[in-house]
Order: sequence, then C-alpha cells, then structure tokens
Amino acid sequence: MADASTSRSPREPADEPSANGTGSLEELRHLILAPEQEALDRLQHRVANHKARTEDVSTVVAEAIQLRRQQGGDDALSDALSPTIETALRESVRKDPATLADALFPVMGPAIRRSILETLRSFLDSFNQIMDQSLSWQGLQWRFEALRTGRSFTEVVLLHSLVFRVEQVFLIHKKTGLPLEHAVAPSVATQDPSLVSGMLSAIQNFVRDSFKSAEGQGLGRMNVGELDVWIEDGPYASVAAVIRGVAPRALHDNLAETLENIHRRFSSELEHFDGNTAPFSAVHGDLARCLEFKYKQESARPGRGYAWAAGALLLLLLGGWLGWRWWQFHRWNQLVATLRDQPGLVITSFSREHGRFVIRGLRDPLAADPAQFVQKAGLDPSRAELHWGAYYALDDVIVQQRATAQLARPSGVTLVVEDGVLSPRGNATSAWANDLLRRATLIPGIRFVNLSGLQIAESAAFERSRKDIQNLVITFPIASAALSSAQMAALRGIATHLKFLFDPPDGHQETLLLVIGHCDSSGPEATNQSLSQRRADRVTLQLIQFGIPDRRLQPRGVATAEPLRPEDTEGDRQYNRSVTFRVISPGVH
Amino acid sequence: MIQKKICMLGSFAVGKTSLVRLFVESIYSETYQTTVGVKVDKKAVALDNTEVTLVLWDLYGEDDFQKMRWSNLRGASGYLLVGDGTRSATLSKALDLEERVRKEVGALPFVFVINKCDLAQEWEIPASFEAETAARKWTVLNSSAKTGKNVEEAFLQLTRKMLG
Repeated sequence: MADASTSRSPREPADEPSANGTGSLEELRHLILAPEQEALDRLQHRVANHKARTEDVSTVVAEAIQLRRQQGGDDALSDALSPTIETALRESVRKDPATLADALFPVMGPAIRRSILETLRSFLDSFNQIMDQSLSWQGLQWRFEALRTGRSFTEVVLLHSLVFRVEQVFLIHKKTGLPLEHAVAPSVATQDPSLVSGMLSAIQNFVRDSFKSAEGQGLGRMNVGELDVWIEDGPYASVAAVIRGVAPRALHDNLAETLENIHRRFSSELEHFDGNTAPFSAVHGDLARCLEFKYKQESARPGRGYAWAAGALLLLLLGGWLGWRWWQFHRWNQLVATLRDQPGLVITSFSREHGRFVIRGLRDPLAADPAQFVQKAGLDPSRAELHWGAYYALDDVIVQQRATAQLARPSGVTLVVEDGVLSPRGNATSAWANDLLRRATLIPGIRFVNLSGLQIAESAAFERSRKDIQNLVITFPIASAALSSAQMAALRGIATHLKFLFDPPDGHQETLLLVIGHCDSSGPEATNQSLSQRRADRVTLQLIQFGIPDRRLQPRGVATAEPLRPEDTEGDRQYNRSVTFRVISPGVH
Repeated sequence: MIQKKICMLGSFAVGKTSLVRLFVESIYSETYQTTVGVKVDKKAVALDNTEVTLVLWDLYGEDDFQKMRWSNLRGASGYLLVGDGTRSATLSKALDLEERVRKEVGALPFVFVINKCDLAQEWEIPASFEAETAARKWTVLNSSAKTGKNVEEAFLQLTRKMLG
C-alpha cells in the first residue's frame, strides 16, 4: 500500500500543476520516478487497449482452459462453450455442408462400421460355434442343403466359403483420374495403370452424365464375367479393386477403411495434388493389404473341416461300399454252398455278372427249389440269375422220392433207398411185391430191390379162394383119366375162384395154378407117371374149357411121388387116384 | 513421378486421334470415343531431366450429333486444342472451345495445333483468325498427322507450360 501511495503521489502534481517554484521539484520527482511512471503507463495502455488485451489472453487461453479442465469437478467450461460450438457447427453446415462432411468422413465410417461389426460379431460367434460343433457333419449338411435348395453343391460351398482373389487395387485421384498408387497380386497380367484408371474415371463420368446422378455418386461396382470391379469413393480419391470370384461384403469395409486411412494421412497431399505421385508410394502397403483377402481363420476352418469331412465321408462310403459288397458276396457264397449240399442239385458255376449273381448247374426235378433258398437267405431274388439243366440225380434221398412218387403202394408201406437198394418196409400182398420187383428196376437210381423188410399178407378173399381150391381133390377111377359128371361139376365150381385169383381187383397177375396128377401105388411106375400126367392134363383141359387161360395152368404128373394119404385101405388108394391143386404166387416165396 | 492429365479438344474430324496415334501408348480402341466419349492414352515426356507422364484424354470431337462431355475436362492440367487448317470452321470452333474451357473449368495451359500442314496449299486461314490468336497470345503450332511434324513439340511445349 505504501508503494501504491508513493506511486500515486507523482501523478498528483501532473493533475494539479503548480504555477511556479515547483519546477525543480517536479524535475527531481521526474528523475526519480520516471521509470516506474513509464511502466505504469504501459500497463494502463495495455489494459485500455482491446487489441493488446486480446493478444495477452490469446497467449494463455489454451493453458487456462487446460488448467480449468484439470481442476475438474464442474461442467462450467463445457456448458459455457457448448452453445458457441453448436452455433458454429450449425453455421458451418449451413454455409457449406461439404467442409464438415469431408472433415467427418474419416471418423464416421469407422464409427458406423464398428457399431455394425459389434452386432454382427456376436451373431457370428454363436454361428461359428454351431459350425464348429457340427464340423464333422458340415460336408453332409452342405450336400443336404444343395439337395434341398436345388442349387449345385459347388454353389453352396461357394456361398459358404466365398473363395475369391483381389487381383489389383488402384488408388485413383478423383479429379484427374490419375493413378496415385497401384498394387497387383503376384502373377496377374495387368494393363498400364494410368490408362486403366483414366478409363475408369471416364466411365464414371460417362455414367454420371448419362444418368444425371449427383456429384458424390458414381459407379460402385462393375461386373464382367468372373471379374468384379468394386469402387469405393472418398472426397479426393477412390479405391478400385479388381476381384476374381465372389468376394465377401467384408471386403467393402476393408476397402473403405483403407481409403479413409489414406484420406486421414494424406488429406493435404490429396487436396493439393499436382501430378506428383511420389508421396503416395507410402500407401502401397495399405493397398497390398487389400490384395489377398480371405476369411478370418475361424471362418476359414469350416472350409477345411468340409474337406476333412468330405474326405472322411468318402472313405467311409468307400469302406462301407466295399464292406457291403464283400458281405453280399459272402452271403451269396453261403447260398451256393447250401445249394451244393442239396441233393439233386449240382452247381457247375457261380459268378457275378453286371451286378447280378449267376448260378448255373443241373437240377433233378424232385430237388428242392433253389429260388426258395434265395428267399430264405434274405437275398434279393431280382439279383439272382439261376440256370438249371435237368438230370436224374442218384442221391438216395432223391431216388427214394422218385420211387415213392412212381410206385403206388399200400398204406403202411414205406420205401427206403440206401446205396441204390430199394427196401420196402411194412405189409403188402405178394402181387404188389411182384409188381414192385418188375417196375422198381426201371426207376433210375435203383439197382436192386430187397424185399426182406416186407411182410407178405395176401388179401382175405385171395386166401379164401386159395384155400378152397387147394382143398379140392378130383378123384378118378382105377387106371382112368376120365372125369365123372360130379368131378366136372366140382371143377366148374373152382373155375369161379380161379378167375378171381387170376384176375383179382388187387392185381395178382402172376398167380399160377399147379395142377398135380396123382396115382395109387398099384401099377408099374412108368404107367403111373403117364397116368398121373394124363389126369393132370385132363383137368387142365377142362379148366381151359371153363375159360381159364392156359398160361396160368401148369399140369404136372407126379405119379406116386406125392401121395395124399398112406395107402392102408382101398379108400386111401381111391383118394390117391386124383388131381390136386396148388396156387403159386411167384417171386414172393 | 509426375503425372498430368491433359485433354485433346477440337472439332469432329480435325485429326486429333490420328495426330497422336504414333506418339502415344494405347490399349483402347477408338470405339470408346464414340461410346464413352473419350479414349485414354499415355505419353511420356522428358523435360529438363524431369520425367512427366501425360495421361491423354482424347475427347470425342463435338459435332451435330454428340455434345462433348465437359465432365471429362475436370482435373486436366492442360490441353491440346486441335484445328484443321483446311476447314476454317474448325478454327473458329477452336476459339469457341477455348472460351468454353475457361468458363467450365477455368483458364488452363494449352497449345493450339493446326493440323494437316501437309496440305498447306489448301489451307484457308482467315487473317482475322491469326489476328485473334495473336491477340490472345496463343501458342500456335502447325502440325501434320501424316509426317508427325510438331507433334512431339506440341507435347513438349504444353508440358513446359503446365510445369511452368
């Protein structure tokens, strides 16, 4: 305060100047206080001068704002600045929207993309997980999808894995159409980039002019067969990518991001481009990064998984097919073995022809039906081709069946064939047995008939007739072969029996009748022989006359060789002068 | 490397394309001019140890059927203005074109080339035209697509103007 009063005091004389006597004092004061006075004047001038004050504030305003922000706590600074900034932005947009748009261009794209990417990523993560879990099935699923949607399998795989290649990337100055930088994938044939980018720009102009589109808009994509040209537009430069195949949408983002980066880093060079492309050699790396664009590793895995799954599936199918084929062949082989064991079947060949199993051989008509074996084995009959030649089998089983089929037999009689020998078992008449003997050997496979197992049991009527006939005794007078009327009547009586025996309903066709002539022992033997023969012949003749076929009759004179009775009395001798009969069923006894 | 976009302007059939055909690298056929309205060629020029690549936009000559696409002139650093010495109408058209360029994209360095000097005896250049070009301080070269006369020179002069 003392300084202040002191400093104020020199000014007082100036405000109230004295007329005289004070000159020297004034001079003294001036001498003493002059430097201070000048400093004061300068300060006063600065405070009063608007321009100077502005200059002063300008030197500290940044630090002041920083300091205030560091002190923090309140939003006073933001609150104070917000209205001004908002007004300024509004005013800027009103004057020329392009300025702010150009300024925001590098940040808006990434911000929007990041937001979209976050949403997509969460979706893709779960999607990838599903794909991973079903890795081994992926190939099958895609194949199924192709079947379901009617697309080609390749198309489905392409849709999922998106194979593509970015062959060239151009950075083109929009206004001049000049190429700023150019990146090419290895071993890609290219045209002069200056000419290509020039024509691309010319075509852009052409399209814009032709369809009167706005300045900022242009051709975003051109497609020529397998080649796609994608063009991303920025304020000063465009990026054009030449792509072979189908590129994913993500490539757009990559191109846009690259373009934004370049705009951010080279905004001044782009804006004031005068034909000097040297600074842009620095962006070659950015462009090159756009060249070989692929899915991320996670997304690429399904592709490999598909290959593995497809390979495994192929092996599985091949193995399965081979196994199935082997199994089929094995089963058919088993069938053939079974058929080989069947009596009456001879397998001459077995082969596989055009997917069918061909079995050739010989088959007895009585053998089991091979087609039924095919069905019984559970094999597809339509795949079987069976060729059989006919033959007579000599297997006992078949021969037995054949004999059984061809030979009528009484009930209770069974036919058994062993080693070519037919053995009937059971009860049968001699007539049947005789018939069997005659016919059996005509049956292929039967060498011999063994009747030892057969019990002969003739029919009761046959036995009755036989008995009646064999009990009959036709007697003759001494030394005579003449028949009395009584004897004639007796013979007529047996003729009926004989007809029955010789031609019975059960077919005893081989029955013979022995007509035996006897003599008593009285005369000489030679005479007796002749006499007995004549007696037999006489009776035979009479029977023939009664209608008995002579081939059934066998007259035989036995003289006294088979006397009916011992000759003790005349009555005995009379009895021995006779003819008797014996019924013969040949072959059985 | 320095690259410059330049344009070729002139009436229909003054010989723009023929004039440069032997002097430029080209991959596109002339049908582009009638379809897209322009054909882009390339010309390397060495000027005072500086390699300059001129990307030459050969614009379709304006005629009764097709207007020139002025949007193609955008970004050009200069242009070759071509007239036909045997047709005075193409010369007055050149005057119009130059004015039009100034109006559309601003004043640009250019060189005026009067083509077909091999037919000099048939030339019909009005005195008024010569006076006009002199007044406007045009750089005028007489050239021939047949002999190639002054074609390189025209590129060199234009490049010098553009870099200067």
